[in-house]
Amino acid sequence: MSPHAKRRLAEAARLLAIAVAVFIAMLPLLWVVLASFKTAADVSQLPPRLLFSPTLENYQRVLDAGFANFFRNSVVITLAAVALSVVLGVPAAYGFSRLRVPAARPLLLFVLSIRFVPYIVFAVPLFVILANLRLVGTHGALVVVYILINLPLVVWLMKSFFDDVPTDIDDAAAVDGANRFQTFALVVLPSAAAGVACVTILSFIFTWNEYLLALVLSGRAAQTLPVVLTRFLGGMEDPVRWGLLSASSVVVLAPVVIVTLLVHRYVRAGFGGSA
Amino acid sequence: MTRRAASHPQPPRAPHRGARRSALHWRDTALFIGPTLLALAVVAVLPTLWAIFSSLFDWHFHRPDARSFVGIDNYLRLARDPRFLNAAWVTTIYTTVSVSATLVFGTLLALLTKAPFPGKGLVRALLTVPMIMTPVVSTLVWKTFFFEADLGLINWVLGFAGIEGPAWVASSPSALITILVVNIWFMTPFVYLVMDAALEGLPTDVIDAAKIDGAGYWRRVRFVILPMLRATIVFTVIFRITIDARMFEIIHVMTGGGPARDTEVLTLWVYNAALRGFHLGYGNAGGVVLMLLVGSACLAIMLVGLRDLYQRTGTT
Repeated sequence: MSPHAKRRLAEAARLLAIAVAVFIAMLPLLWVVLASFKTAADVSQLPPRLLFSPTLENYQRVLDAGFANFFRNSVVITLAAVALSVVLGVPAAYGFSRLRVPAARPLLLFVLSIRFVPYIVFAVPLFVILANLRLVGTHGALVVVYILINLPLVVWLMKSFFDDVPTDIDDAAAVDGANRFQTFALVVLPSAAAGVACVTILSFIFTWNEYLLALVLSGRAAQTLPVVLTRFLGGMEDPVRWGLLSASSVVVLAPVVIVTLLVHRYVRAGFGGSA
Repeated sequence: MTRRAASHPQPPRAPHRGARRSALHWRDTALFIGPTLLALAVVAVLPTLWAIFSSLFDWHFHRPDARSFVGIDNYLRLARDPRFLNAAWVTTIYTTVSVSATLVFGTLLALLTKAPFPGKGLVRALLTVPMIMTPVVSTLVWKTFFFEADLGLINWVLGFAGIEGPAWVASSPSALITILVVNIWFMTPFVYLVMDAALEGLPTDVIDAAKIDGAGYWRRVRFVILPMLRATIVFTVIFRITIDARMFEIIHVMTGGGPARDTEVLTLWVYNAALRGFHLGYGNAGGVVLMLLVGSACLAIMLVGLRDLYQRTGTT
């Protein structure tokens, strides 16, 4: 075989391998989206029916089951939690990047180390403490607790974004008479806007998807979608319920998948930089 | 462990030392950083201290008045508790296999997609999807549609090869395989994204030089590219260990720890002991051990990795 043909063969093999990887990565999502539009008779058929008359009855049943309420829980808790972490974490990241902080490195390592602690270690004490305060099952409790997941990420990622902004513009602002807060809010922050988008999106994904803390702390009143999904769909071994399972899954997935595909650039920047 | 450090290992940067910045303005510093530190002290430090404190007591959630100080008895009991030791073993296997597999697959994918090809941007976006999908949902989909014994995709495909697939989730050792498969599928994109970003940051001239010197593709990967990625690999392994060691939802949803505690990892053990059995002291002792195990594994890898990092910065 000529070197030329060999190179073309290698290239074909490479593209095939990539195609297989994409197929495996996407298969669960494609499968569940298709299944959500199938009737009970179609949903468990193998080989899978690719051509079928789609139905919206599964989504109707999801609505009838009161999913809108839980969807609202998830939206409220996630948005509040993300806002709280960004509002707290972005100024802190600026401080670590620009101000002289006593013991800055140990403090940064402390912030980072929180990401290394298994959440269950926090979950048990938080449950006992919040139960004693009668706060289990409130939206506020979950919003505050989600600081654990988001704040360390926001601080570390934003610090690296601020570090990339030249300090010359701080100096220029100071010469123009801006105080420290004005320099941060009006000069440096706009230059690091991509970073804010990045940490906001990552925090959104992590919070929306979170299960353990929500399971332990949400009680009945503040259940978020992942918890509802496992509690309310007991007995989904029964293929009759697979359509309902699929439709509710798609409802849970839609926000994160859509956000990720729309602004993939930021997701990539965030995860690529998170290690 | 910033973006900078991940792609280009460098010595720690000196803090900014402009004349104006060097002055410590307590008020500014407190305003910018204080709220974050306070918040983390309340939601992270307080619970951790409480977990350690309670682990020294015989403490039942519903009988708080009957708690009694037992010192390190809970820890001694753990060392003899077969269910706990089993959980520690399952966690070790689960983490080791999953971290290794995702590291190999993620790095291979990053290498495969390095050279340009049509649709590269889209492929990169699609390869991210498993990681951002709600893990509870992905697990339910795998469990229901793929691993189901009679109507699942996997056993149907195996049927063509004349293989009668097991009742995946309900039998041993296939249950452990199911949670590994889902976790590897879930976390390979993470390694892929990190490696992909790191590959982009590599200096091309070195790789080109090796190519001109006649090094074939795999030799370039093995002796030029991978050595340059060492720092990234070390940090990735540390992150991956912490993620797997705290994994709860995939296992809770897929197997609930069964069959016969085959898949009961430490997080699930703590959950069962402290929040199902309500033995707060004993359960938290297990949690503290888990935290120490994760911490020491990371520290060990960090020490090896840092030594490596300093050697590298010394030579470049």
